[in-house]
Amino acid sequence: MTTLRSFAWVPLAAGTMLIATPSSVARTEPGRAGPEIGQAAPAFTLPDTYGKEHALEQYSGKWVVLEWLNYDCPYVRKHYSSGNIPGQQKKWTDQGVIWLAVVSSAPGKQGYFEPAAMDARSAKEGSRATAVLLDPDGTVGHLYDARTTPHMFVIDPQGVLRYMGGIDDVPSARVGDLQRATQLVDQALTELFAGKPVSVTTSRPYGCSVKYES
Amino acid sequence: MQKRTEGPRRYRTLHSGWWLAAPSLLLALSRPGGIPGRSEALSAPADTTPHSEARLVSEVRSVRPGSTFTVALAIDLDEGWHTYWRNPGDSGTPAILEWSLPAGYHAGPVQWPSPERIPTPPLMSYAHTGRLMLLTDIAVPPDARPGTSARLGLSAEFLVCREICLPAEVTRTLDVPVTADGGTPDPARADAFAATRARLPMESSAWQASAIPTPAGYDLVVHPPRGWDERSASFYFFVDDATALEHAVPQAPAWRDGSLHLALTRSAYNTDPGALDGVLERTDGGGFDEAGTRAALALAVPVQKAAATPAASHQALAIVLVFAFAGGLLLNLMPCVFPVLSLKILGFVHHAGGEARRTRLHGVAFAAGVILSFLVLATTLLAVRAAGAEVGWGFQLQSPAVVAALCVLLFVIGLGFAGVVEPGASLTRLAGVGGSDPRYRGSFLTGVLAAVVATPCTAPFMGVAVGAALVRPSAEALGIFGMLGMGMAVPYVVLSSWPGLLRRVPRPGAWMETLKQALAFPMFAVSAWLVWVFGLQTGMDGAGALLACLVLVGFAAWAVGRWPAGTSTRRALVTSRAVASLALVAAGAAAWHGVRSEPAAASVSEVTAGAWRPFEEGLVEAQRRMGRPVFVDFTAAWCISCQVNERLVLSDAAVLDAFRARGVVLVKADWTRREPDITRALESFGRSGVPLYVLYPPDPAAEPKLLPAMLTTGIVLDALDAMGASGSSLADAGRSNGGL
Repeated sequence: MTTLRSFAWVPLAAGTMLIATPSSVARTEPGRAGPEIGQAAPAFTLPDTYGKEHALEQYSGKWVVLEWLNYDCPYVRKHYSSGNIPGQQKKWTDQGVIWLAVVSSAPGKQGYFEPAAMDARSAKEGSRATAVLLDPDGTVGHLYDARTTPHMFVIDPQGVLRYMGGIDDVPSARVGDLQRATQLVDQALTELFAGKPVSVTTSRPYGCSVKYES
Repeated sequence: MQKRTEGPRRYRTLHSGWWLAAPSLLLALSRPGGIPGRSEALSAPADTTPHSEARLVSEVRSVRPGSTFTVALAIDLDEGWHTYWRNPGDSGTPAILEWSLPAGYHAGPVQWPSPERIPTPPLMSYAHTGRLMLLTDIAVPPDARPGTSARLGLSAEFLVCREICLPAEVTRTLDVPVTADGGTPDPARADAFAATRARLPMESSAWQASAIPTPAGYDLVVHPPRGWDERSASFYFFVDDATALEHAVPQAPAWRDGSLHLALTRSAYNTDPGALDGVLERTDGGGFDEAGTRAALALAVPVQKAAATPAASHQALAIVLVFAFAGGLLLNLMPCVFPVLSLKILGFVHHAGGEARRTRLHGVAFAAGVILSFLVLATTLLAVRAAGAEVGWGFQLQSPAVVAALCVLLFVIGLGFAGVVEPGASLTRLAGVGGSDPRYRGSFLTGVLAAVVATPCTAPFMGVAVGAALVRPSAEALGIFGMLGMGMAVPYVVLSSWPGLLRRVPRPGAWMETLKQALAFPMFAVSAWLVWVFGLQTGMDGAGALLACLVLVGFAAWAVGRWPAGTSTRRALVTSRAVASLALVAAGAAAWHGVRSEPAAASVSEVTAGAWRPFEEGLVEAQRRMGRPVFVDFTAAWCISCQVNERLVLSDAAVLDAFRARGVVLVKADWTRREPDITRALESFGRSGVPLYVLYPPDPAAEPKLLPAMLTTGIVLDALDAMGASGSSLADAGRSNGGL
């Protein structure tokens, strides 16, 4: 009767299997690559305009903001000419936040500059970013699924992604629209620094397409 | 690129010096223009419309007071440059139009023609190239004075992009004379306006669509109108909402079950919208209209709430599985399981005298039979679904052949109980199973039988869960059906495992024979009901043939039972078996004749007699447009819950009076023969079975209310009262009752 007794577990085992199968299917469903809120932000290492390497993990213990940048994009111009992004850069780097602007424009495409020219342009635009990182082959841009300039990411001291999306919530290239816009990166950082939950963790990034190598 | 010379007679261009300048500055920098067809002059360095030109043109030369006319912002883009659609895709922004009109004039929304796809991997843009005409209807006030002219002012901003994006900002004015007999189209522009209108999404209520959440995003299901037999799979769906979808992921359009399916991929910025309205485009050169010229179709796409969102899919799946399990438990109490339940009780009574372990093993064998049957049925359903037939759960009883077979089977079991033949032997023989341990197999087969007979009951009880199972991936659907089976089987395992409970079952004795004989009658009753169902499916001839079949089967059973093996002479045995075989062959022929019978038209319409109108596609919408509330009873002859509700509640005088008092149009959707229209209507509520009761308020915009599967007069009257009171936001209450 031993074999028959073990038979008693068949329905239970079958049930367990049935519960287990669908969830594993859902988990392996092909989704778009890219970072997820609440998950570890993808690790990367990129050189800045001085050739110095910046690895995300070296900023463990600090807040990091990633900003996708193309100075010649009208949307980026809106936020630099108005002083909106430089102002936020100053405000938060003063509080110890690492603000990294990433340029994924391919050589020959809009927004790409040689390191020296990039520095000159950053000075002219009044950038207060910690560093401008060069990603001419788009590796890190694709890793973060960066779509537009600007496209923003906020990473906490544990390396977990806490915000991604637009710089604010009014998609336009008009300076005048800044007045009615909520600055979502600033809001997220303010809430995080106050120990509150982030009220908007994702928003649609808006701007010019990132000028990747085609 | 086309350079049409159709500029307005008189217009003025206003140029801004710098695109970021304040609008007030623009006026100061204005300069007159106005030579029709002059395009080269607009490409100066200070041009506010880089790589493009923009004009404001009217379709008519003059306008009549109280009329509506159409104007267009005509944007001509240089070769290789584009400007964005209302959903720009992954980057960019659409044109923004701001009107300044004389008092009393009103501008309608921008009418966007369907866009083009401009892929820049990994991104996708939805945009326009060449000539874009953005049409806007302008309403002229009735008190506009003939002889005057109306000055329309438009300031517009749009992006002009190729590799890079350049902002364009224009301010245009257009003076339109008002005349008493105005409204004559300007022949010079007729072609351009007609060409643009051909590219506007066609509005058609004949096409229905909904989006069903899937792990990766949505299954967009588009139901074509009746008679649409075009099966080209060249379609693309442009969603209006820029945040909901991954625009660059291919949509894999395919026809399944008579509907067009597109796989839409959820974007990381999706905020679970309630609708995914957009534009469906045919990309094979054909059209949605008879002439084949309208390649774009406007689609209203509600997102179904029955299934889970991927973010919560594990949790939601667990909930659905729990519901499935609970539903399985409840199945034991349903009327069509009852005969089998009683059959099984007999088994318990029989085994109670034996060893506890053996009793438990019978319970487990029964459970295995139930679960396995549910899985086999689910697999069959999935296979049939894949094969493209429009079927729903309960499909076994929609097939007359299955009804006839079940009817005969239950009749034979009834004969066994009545003592005409030995029950155990006949059950085993019917299933073609012999073997060394027939009793475990018997329990297993009883489990199989219980599952099959339970099928019509799962639909009313498990509408939501089964609906979800049908739209989910196959593995999840199997999980749901497996849990249904486990829920149904668990009481038997428990009962057989706890000897204490079994001891409450009366001891074996003479009463058992009495009970067994009495149990023949539930079997005959179900058999008789199945004859009635069969009659509805195949008509009076069919029912007659099935009754003849039953008589022949009864005769064969009697012949076998009267001369049992072992006690009869060899001659009697051979003769009786030969006669029984002949009778069975004749019975089979009769059943075959019955299955092939078609009902007379009247027999189906009898079901929908009285105040009830038969269901037709578009009927509900048409009635609501006329301001009438509609109640739809989704029903089937083989659905016992439906019959109970119809006889006890929907025929109730108070309910009928309440329907009459409120002018409710009563519609009966009879799914006995699985009409595809009704299948689609059920699907639109995320259901795949009956009963389903839907009360539509007269306001076409209001949400229909779903009533629970088990109706009472109170529920119906309350729903009618609530509709009178507010007519909205009742759907939630309906759902919470209508589930389990």
